[in-house]
Amino acid sequence: MRMNRKLTWMLLAGMTMAFVQCKDSGEAVEPDDENELITSVTLKFTEQGTSNVSTFSFKDPDGDGGNAATKFDTISLKPNKTYTLAIELLDESKTPVNDITKEVEKESDEHLFVYTATPGALLTYSYGDKDKNNYPIGLTGSAVTGAAGDGKLKVQLRHQPGAKNGTPTPGSDDVNLDFILKVK
Amino acid sequence: MHSFRNLLLTVLLALFTATAFAQKPACECFVKGVVKDRHTGQPIVGATVLIVGESNGVFTDQNGRYELRNLCPGNYTLECRIIGYSPFQQKVDLTAGHEENFNLLEQEVHLHDVEITAHRTDAPSSQPLTTISGADLDKTRGQTLGESLRGVTGVTTLQTGSSISKPVIHGLHSNRVLIMNNGIRQEGQQWGSEHAPEIDPFIATRISVVKGAAGVRYGSDAIGGVILVEPEELPIDQPVSGELNAVGFSNGRQGVLSGTAQGGLGFLKGFGWRAQGTIKRGGNIRTPNYFLDNTGISENNFSLAAGYRNKGLGIDVFYSRFDTQIGIFSGSHIGSVTDLLNVIQNGEPFVKSGFSYAINRPNQNATHELLKAETHYQFQNGNRLQWTIARQYNNRNEFDLHRPRNDSIAALNHPELTFKLTSLTNDVVWDHKPIAQKVTGQIGVSTLYQYNLMSGRPLIPNFNQFNIGVFWIERYVTSKWELEAGLRYDYRTLKTYRIVNREKVADHFDFSNFSGTAGATRNFSDRFSARLNVGTAWRAPNVSELFSDGVHHGAAAYEKGDATLQPEKALNSIASVKYAAPKWSVELGAYYNYISDFIYLKPQPEPILTIRGAFPYFKYTQTDASFKGIDVSGSWEFVKRTTVTSKLSYLRVYDERNDGYLVMIPPNRLDNQLKYQLANHGKWKDGFISIGNLLVAEQKRVPANSDFLPPPKAYSLWSLQAGATLRVSEKQQLEFGINVQNLFNTVYRDYLNRFRYYADDMGRNASLRLKWKFGA
Repeated sequence: MRMNRKLTWMLLAGMTMAFVQCKDSGEAVEPDDENELITSVTLKFTEQGTSNVSTFSFKDPDGDGGNAATKFDTISLKPNKTYTLAIELLDESKTPVNDITKEVEKESDEHLFVYTATPGALLTYSYGDKDKNNYPIGLTGSAVTGAAGDGKLKVQLRHQPGAKNGTPTPGSDDVNLDFILKVK
Repeated sequence: MHSFRNLLLTVLLALFTATAFAQKPACECFVKGVVKDRHTGQPIVGATVLIVGESNGVFTDQNGRYELRNLCPGNYTLECRIIGYSPFQQKVDLTAGHEENFNLLEQEVHLHDVEITAHRTDAPSSQPLTTISGADLDKTRGQTLGESLRGVTGVTTLQTGSSISKPVIHGLHSNRVLIMNNGIRQEGQQWGSEHAPEIDPFIATRISVVKGAAGVRYGSDAIGGVILVEPEELPIDQPVSGELNAVGFSNGRQGVLSGTAQGGLGFLKGFGWRAQGTIKRGGNIRTPNYFLDNTGISENNFSLAAGYRNKGLGIDVFYSRFDTQIGIFSGSHIGSVTDLLNVIQNGEPFVKSGFSYAINRPNQNATHELLKAETHYQFQNGNRLQWTIARQYNNRNEFDLHRPRNDSIAALNHPELTFKLTSLTNDVVWDHKPIAQKVTGQIGVSTLYQYNLMSGRPLIPNFNQFNIGVFWIERYVTSKWELEAGLRYDYRTLKTYRIVNREKVADHFDFSNFSGTAGATRNFSDRFSARLNVGTAWRAPNVSELFSDGVHHGAAAYEKGDATLQPEKALNSIASVKYAAPKWSVELGAYYNYISDFIYLKPQPEPILTIRGAFPYFKYTQTDASFKGIDVSGSWEFVKRTTVTSKLSYLRVYDERNDGYLVMIPPNRLDNQLKYQLANHGKWKDGFISIGNLLVAEQKRVPANSDFLPPPKAYSLWSLQAGATLRVSEKQQLEFGINVQNLFNTVYRDYLNRFRYYADDMGRNASLRLKWKFGA
């Protein structure tokens, strides 16, 4: 019958359409290397006039989620000293390890590090670098400790594309860590 | 399983011939005609046709014909009820000319052909079904699908800013509301609250909401309800006709242009076609006091359809493509909890902006393609077989606010998230012929094969899934009662693939479920009816609930999935009564939806530490939740031409296992409207002016300490509408509409708008709408 032939033809066309596209999504899973992470933040304090270097780090090698952070050091400094403070950011989830510090340096007119001690008298930070618009960056600077005491040092990396004005207000946090600070 | 026949949902067309004939000036008039299915064009056997107010109805015969005799001259309302179709009424005038014509032949007293259009619906007849079509749908033109449905009692929207909105039915949304787009279950990335349905509402001439669990007919996910988006039937062998819609909105300076052309192929019998397209452009949205940066929208959609009918055979082919790019308010990017607390404290966004059409980062673009073929065959004996296959391809790209710092990667400008979801559905439905003209039923099998490819920042895994569902529904109809019962079984298998520590990990899940439905409708009189339905539905946990693991930057929350989650199951009871008098009507509905193993994000006591600081920690957990609510709507024409309409949506949700409340439940609302209908004047008709007020209460039932900000205060919004139609000629008409939303530019924030932390809701928005209809 003509009708039956038509139906059969449609059935075949339909089946072809339904199955020709099937594929296994498992084959397409690959680690993503374009995705940028910051997995470690290292603060390097060099006591002025000496070569005494103390480093303190936060490390979460697999990024947010998965395993918890493997390292979150307590910052321990001497009272009433002046230190040179340098910061290093790494993406250790990639092989080879990706140095984010360099990327920040290249785009310094979009980034601002903010160091805030509580109580404020514990540590005073002064910027030691400037971007092309003469705004501070904070990759290097100096930290002057006060009298002995315990508190916190908040380290923020503000990402401020197109809005950087020298204040922390614009943009959003790429890093926001509260290190425990002991001055003794 | 999912849906099945598609088109078949809309169906039926009844072509009636009303004939008055009187041999004596007494009660010798009659009405006769044939009842046909709109979709297939085939006669319907066993439809009940009755005169409202008279007790005796008749059934259509083997050829779909009916005849009502011994009617006195007068005005009657004819009602036709068919199992599986929306009941419809048609006024018939049997007064004209009956006295003079008593000696004439039937053909000569033939007064007019009364064409009645009723639509077949697969929704359980005992569940409340609200349809927006015609003039009501026209008023919503230019808006998104979610916004179009806001006028329905019990329906609200979940919003991300002003450009992304998702429908919420009885407090449930996303994967708990199923959307049937032209008969095919819409398969996008519905797990995301900022992923709006990828559907152009201009495709539809009817948008219906089925409230309550409808898992038997529609398969998984139909827990809160089902939204049916239905185009008009193809104009087989009709002359060319069409329409052009133009809408302009003041807020966002948005313009929408949509056109449709359709017709038959004059030289070839049995064919019909339709082509439709929509363009939308909008810029930054303005709240009463400031613009929202980067909130523009751009949309380009089109669809093509063709069909063929020959006796019992019908074939329809449909293709649609939806393509949108939506800017996401740049002030909503949150790096850390400190960022969020700062913007909350500031009371308004830090990012200032003027007006612009530009769409920058962050933004999302999504394309959705649907290709569908449906074929049906109606056998001579009344049996009917329908088979539908469809392929959907959903491609969603999301761009974060910040480009990668590395120049060479940034230069690629790749989206930070890409999802490519392909879904293949296959539905076969068998409608058996009516038994004793009272019982009809259908048996169906649906399959779904789906795979997801994702790249970018890890968020959800790749997956393959296969679902098969089998259902059987029987319905029994008399003039007073309609009873129905159905059963369904679903089986789903899911395989996921993800990267953990640079290694591929595969997981395998199997889910299965039985669903059932039973319902009754009782028609006490032509004015008064009552319905009761008890139905179940289920939903397997989706991949984001199983595998989320990271910070949700819009919500400043760390969300973790749980791979041991079980499917959630809803048991929904819904009862409604309706009374309709000529001057007033009331509809009252009450529901109790008990969802066991309800999946939600449970706050954990300890925060999670990340490089951006500590984030509140939420874990996907299961509980038992009850959704109890009342929907009331009423209208009263208290003075001639002046009608007041009120709609109340009341909902209470309770976490039964933990004795508490749940988050993100829409607050209660009351919607009032006063409408004055203008008299027709010359070529002008259907003119009206209306003023409306929407009162939204404050949501006070929230769990303690679960949010950064308490729910916003109650608010009241006024709106103004006016419209009229100008009949230019026999075959052409122009429709005009004016609509002003948020008339007084009220400052408010809505609890279900995810941007309520950052910014106010949209300010005043005036729109002007123009529709030109030609042909037919």
